[in-house]
Amino acid sequence: MREFMDNITNSFFQATGWNRDNSYSELNATTNDLLNFPLPHGLRLILSSLATPQFSTSYQLGAIGHVDGSIAYLYSSVPLHGVVAQSDRVPLVPLLESYRQLKDLGLGRSEQRFGVPGRTSGVPNNDTNKEYYRQGGHGPTLFYGSMFLPHSTLHARVIKRLTPSLQAQVSAVSSEDLRNGGTILGSAHYDRGIYNVEALASTDGGLLGVRGLYNFGGDASPGHIPPLEEAGNGERERIYGRFSVGGELYYGTLNKSAGMSLGARFATLPAYLGTPLTATVTINPLMGNISATYAVLAREKCSLATMMDFNVYSYESDWKIGMEIWSRRRPGRHLVEADPGDSIETVAAEGEEQTPKRRPRSFQAKMEWRLDYPEPTEAETGGESTAEEGEQLGVLKARLDQHGRIGLLWEGRIKSLLFSLGTGMDLRRLDQSFQSVGLNIQYSS
Amino acid sequence: MAFNFNWSPLTADEKFYERTRDLLTTALNKSPKPPIIVDDILVTEFNLGSVPPELEILEIGDIAEDRFRGIFKMCYSGDAFLTLKTRVQANPLNTYLCSKPDFTSPQPLAAASGLTIPLQITLSEIKLSAFIILVFSKQKGLTLVFRNDPLESLKVSSTFDSIQFVRDYLQRTIEQKLRDLMMDELPAIIHKLSLQLWCPDQLPKEDEPAKEDGEAEVDPLASPPLDAVDADGHVLDPSEIAALSLDGGPEVQSLFSQKNMLRLAALSNANRTLGLASPTIRDVMFRAWAGAMDKMDGGVSTPYSPPSLTRAQSFQGTSTTYTFSDAGSDGAVGARPPLVSLGSATTGLTLGSGRHHKTGRKKKNRVVNLRKQAVVGETVSEMGESASDSASTMEGPASEPPMPSRMLEEQQELQMPAVAPQGGKVRFRSPDEKAEATRPSYVRSPLFEVPSAPITLAEPVSLTSKQTQASQETARLPVDTKTPMAWEKRGDLESDTSSVILEQAWIMKMAGEIARRVYNEKRRNPGFWEDRDDMPPPAYEPRR
Repeated sequence: MREFMDNITNSFFQATGWNRDNSYSELNATTNDLLNFPLPHGLRLILSSLATPQFSTSYQLGAIGHVDGSIAYLYSSVPLHGVVAQSDRVPLVPLLESYRQLKDLGLGRSEQRFGVPGRTSGVPNNDTNKEYYRQGGHGPTLFYGSMFLPHSTLHARVIKRLTPSLQAQVSAVSSEDLRNGGTILGSAHYDRGIYNVEALASTDGGLLGVRGLYNFGGDASPGHIPPLEEAGNGERERIYGRFSVGGELYYGTLNKSAGMSLGARFATLPAYLGTPLTATVTINPLMGNISATYAVLAREKCSLATMMDFNVYSYESDWKIGMEIWSRRRPGRHLVEADPGDSIETVAAEGEEQTPKRRPRSFQAKMEWRLDYPEPTEAETGGESTAEEGEQLGVLKARLDQHGRIGLLWEGRIKSLLFSLGTGMDLRRLDQSFQSVGLNIQYSS
Repeated sequence: MAFNFNWSPLTADEKFYERTRDLLTTALNKSPKPPIIVDDILVTEFNLGSVPPELEILEIGDIAEDRFRGIFKMCYSGDAFLTLKTRVQANPLNTYLCSKPDFTSPQPLAAASGLTIPLQITLSEIKLSAFIILVFSKQKGLTLVFRNDPLESLKVSSTFDSIQFVRDYLQRTIEQKLRDLMMDELPAIIHKLSLQLWCPDQLPKEDEPAKEDGEAEVDPLASPPLDAVDADGHVLDPSEIAALSLDGGPEVQSLFSQKNMLRLAALSNANRTLGLASPTIRDVMFRAWAGAMDKMDGGVSTPYSPPSLTRAQSFQGTSTTYTFSDAGSDGAVGARPPLVSLGSATTGLTLGSGRHHKTGRKKKNRVVNLRKQAVVGETVSEMGESASDSASTMEGPASEPPMPSRMLEEQQELQMPAVAPQGGKVRFRSPDEKAEATRPSYVRSPLFEVPSAPITLAEPVSLTSKQTQASQETARLPVDTKTPMAWEKRGDLESDTSSVILEQAWIMKMAGEIARRVYNEKRRNPGFWEDRDDMPPPAYEPRR
């Protein structure tokens, strides 16, 4: 589950029209979410609130043998009007879904649209924002601060859009455990849609880094034609996606160490009618590491991902598989709601509903190695599904790796509480297979 | 005097190497490893080589068929080697990220992917030079402690020898690790091994918690303190003491106050700093004051001091001197010099602190006393001799007429043996014995030989009997002397296993601390110690 503050930060990016995913560090985001999702540890309560459209707070209280907590504040200079933060109403799918569809690169974006919050959130307040920038206002800025107790750790982050395509970000940690009492990481992101360049510098070891990403094919190609519904069979079968290649280079000026990697990704665009998929290859030429991942949105609410790792120098290999299944049923619904008869009815009704909506591919279509033609009812069912999205009440995520470690995570909503229950297991040590169990409960208003 | 080692039989035993390898592997993997080491450290090869170490006896404190105690000087520059195997993380970015907070992590995509490389490290050309304190008893096994940092030099060769930076780093890190191993782990390993050899029945007890239990089990009330006082400092009746038991309530607890122990610990810690202020402890007589009072008494002073492990601050103010002394082996130590002499140069390895400036003429040939205690005790002529020996520095309080008030107290104390269970683990001397105690202990007549007396209260008692104006502080002195600081080692304790364990545990702890401190000292002030090595302290002057 995305943390509340992370979610708000994401809303800020959406509101200012910044494509966070168009970055080399997010190349693996989909498989990373499916394979390396964080497991909760111990019991943690999170109370959050978007008090005003510009200001939000979050309090955490955790108990892992000892009690700890944190207080976080966030201020955005752009009002986040369209953001639903209430935990009883917040849409779960964007919050919990791992598979990330590619976003529009915004190639046709004009300077005028920069930083207009209403563009994605749908709130018609464009005029006020235009007015704001016309008056020479600054670029949108986000301040975030968080204090952790009792470790006396302080986190701070400032994100500022300088120009429509340039964004600067400074993150700092102050903690007595760290060598110089803290570290600062500064980075600048330059996004032109087709390409994205980032530069970063850290005070820790004097690390300097450069990252870059270049997109081509699909919607990024100059003369791209969106697939038309009325196109022929050949046009429909053509996989429609975007290629991205990139690289990163780091150099620690103090410890004279370097690191680099190259990567490529192919991902289908949302407009593609077939099964959405994402495949990436990353190579670390210095360390001889090759990693390939493949993620697919197999069914409407089921994602699968695999990862293969191989090192050409040490011949070490590693694999991981992960999956995500959405449940329409409220977890423990018959416990929460007293009337069992009602729940059975509802489940049965849901089951009936589901069958016409998502039919298996017809045999004929399979034999011809193509997809079904869209039925005339497609539009109706599509409309239904969006209306039903609120019914998606829980998601089960699971992963397994080469070392026999299993991670299970169950996230969902009960009444107005968002919860995530997770456990880590080790199959190799059956005597103490449960390595960790955790429960996070989040309420926001 | 030096040893001639028969080195090869030790190495011929194949099982010996196996055991040693296992023990070393366990010891190396005990502490948390840095992120660069991603696997367990395995000891694959271990060979003691063919060149034995040179061992020089500096002092033998106690020797018998079943026990031995001595201090040695060891030099080694042989061909022993040790090979370790582990796997290390070769990507610097990976280890860099391990210790950094996520919030400011640059979050590289694949640049931090790991590359683990098997690493083989061979340690050879080990040069050691150390002072070793060795305590052996058939029941307690072998205790070996380094008095200083034993490692002189060492050659580290590894898979990465061609890379200068890595080689230097490894050399530095391994030397550091090995020092820790030698100072902390090796004594424990040797002790464990020796127990396996000689007394396997004691082995399960050797766990650390078992030792703690042994310490806790000693019932201090089994034989009541001589001059017991309550929390307010009033002297307690023997009958009152008899009524007390360990679970008797807060009154008893205050007799053996944890707070006092903490204060004493704070006091001993205060010696390590340059701070002028030392914590004041109620009801305690400091040695400095005692010296002044002794002077006032006309230099009579130097009450018979029980042989004990004492610590004295040397005049440098930064180094601390430890003194191992034992009455059973060295009669002269029994007659401790006046406390005033502490101001003199007591540095480095010193036995009997400032004694050498008084009996400096004798210091070279006094080291070994091979006589058994029981035999010595029977010879009256010996007694006279040693009495005259000690008469030079002290006047036995026995010859002094005790004050009447003191007599009264002693009358009361006379009842105490009846009160106290005879088999008690901690015993205090009866007044009759006290008179004996003014002589060195080995001349004590067999008539009064009571089983074990690890805590001797002779010194404070004689002190109080001498001083009519004995203040409350002085009167209460015995209470403080029964703290574990006053533990002493005596030959006649063998029958008492629990106190043996306790004693052993304490010696181990103490010796470990000695070693650690000396090592710290050496690191802090290398020049100081180099000088010291060239010129060993007089008490230990090795005869070459």
